[in-house]
Amino acid sequence: MTRIGRQLSIGKTDNTSDQRTPRKRLRLIPTDVRESFVPVIPARAVQRQNEWDLTRIAPNRPRAEGSPIEVKGTVRNESGTLLRGALIEIWNANHYGRYRHVEDHSGLKLDENFFGIGRIITDEYGNYRFWTISPGAYLARPDIGRWRPKHIHLSISCGSSRLITQMYFPNEPNNASDPMVLLMGDSFDRNLGRPYETKIPELDQGYNFDIVVGGKNATFFE
Amino acid sequence: MTNKQQTNILLPTNEDTTGPYFPTYFNDESYEDLTQIHSGVIAGPSGQHIILRGRVLDRNGKLANGVLLEFWQANAKGIYRNPSSENHPDLDPWFDGYGRLRSTTGEYTYRTIFPGASKDRAPNITITIFSDGINRIVTQIFFANQKANEIDPLLKTLSDQDRKRLTAKYEGPSPDGADVYTLDIIMAGDNETPFFDDFLS
Repeated sequence: MTRIGRQLSIGKTDNTSDQRTPRKRLRLIPTDVRESFVPVIPARAVQRQNEWDLTRIAPNRPRAEGSPIEVKGTVRNESGTLLRGALIEIWNANHYGRYRHVEDHSGLKLDENFFGIGRIITDEYGNYRFWTISPGAYLARPDIGRWRPKHIHLSISCGSSRLITQMYFPNEPNNASDPMVLLMGDSFDRNLGRPYETKIPELDQGYNFDIVVGGKNATFFE
Repeated sequence: MTNKQQTNILLPTNEDTTGPYFPTYFNDESYEDLTQIHSGVIAGPSGQHIILRGRVLDRNGKLANGVLLEFWQANAKGIYRNPSSENHPDLDPWFDGYGRLRSTTGEYTYRTIFPGASKDRAPNITITIFSDGINRIVTQIFFANQKANEIDPLLKTLSDQDRKRLTAKYEGPSPDGADVYTLDIIMAGDNETPFFDDFLS
């Protein structure tokens, strides 16, 4: 039994982590107020058609540059409950490592056929699937030569289950020096997409990424 | 809706930072202002409108740009819309209690209704912060001049100083009649806001 709250760790070589990580131990929540700490997110919808396919801006548009991939898997909580109707918000850099975000001032190349932002809803079995372009790695700390390895951002919202995470790619040279990967230690493999061969002609590669939303909130009302 | 499956406890996917580029494309005004459903519809929750505003600051007192804030609260009658209140007569049909906004600068303005006090509690709003550099952190904030603050079981576990750090100041009414409260959230450092471990405890 844990009787004290976690002490959060600071990501090595990550200045933002140093500036923003609480230094005090997290406080325990007394049992009698625990329920008030469990947000229950209303069911949400995807607002535009075809957001599951990030390889094109719209179905009739040219395919973006780079290597088209599929990512699929299930979404569950720790007790194994499949999360149906979960909203997954996705964003990833283009083939050159650039985000189409007004605050990305890296100057890396934009691809006129890549939007890099999508939303999907899990089906009645908790399955999800999307297509995107394999993201480029980018130099996050030019001063020390540290790269951000290829990754895809995923934000999951489903009732009391809430998770923001990143999927990484196996055997990438920059994985080993990434501050957040280092903090994950051995459990980093839970954040790796597992490659599989796909027969779909439009795709180069498939990745399986099963997601488990952890923490007490996700199972609080079960 | 969920579907039970017979398994042991599964190992969770690690949380990760939001990074600096959470898409503003995902912003939805209806989650930044819970006092109305839509400007073209005659509908809205019961309760006193409030504006909660403030800054999210880092260890050096600088604004934490690009933070994603999520809010959770009870309705004006103190009822949370969650699975244990499903058929409660005091649920408000026009109020879910969940809000979300991304702040470009680190300053935030959130419009909602004053939360009712739920059983034995002082009125409060739970705030989850997602950001670059950190995994999610969670706190719960309170309101100045509420008698129930004296007896709140969460506030009672904290020092006077920490209670102050979680209590939003009343600034008076806005021109449109909403009560304005302010609170800065300090992510790290000497004057750090108390954060709570909702993962383990």
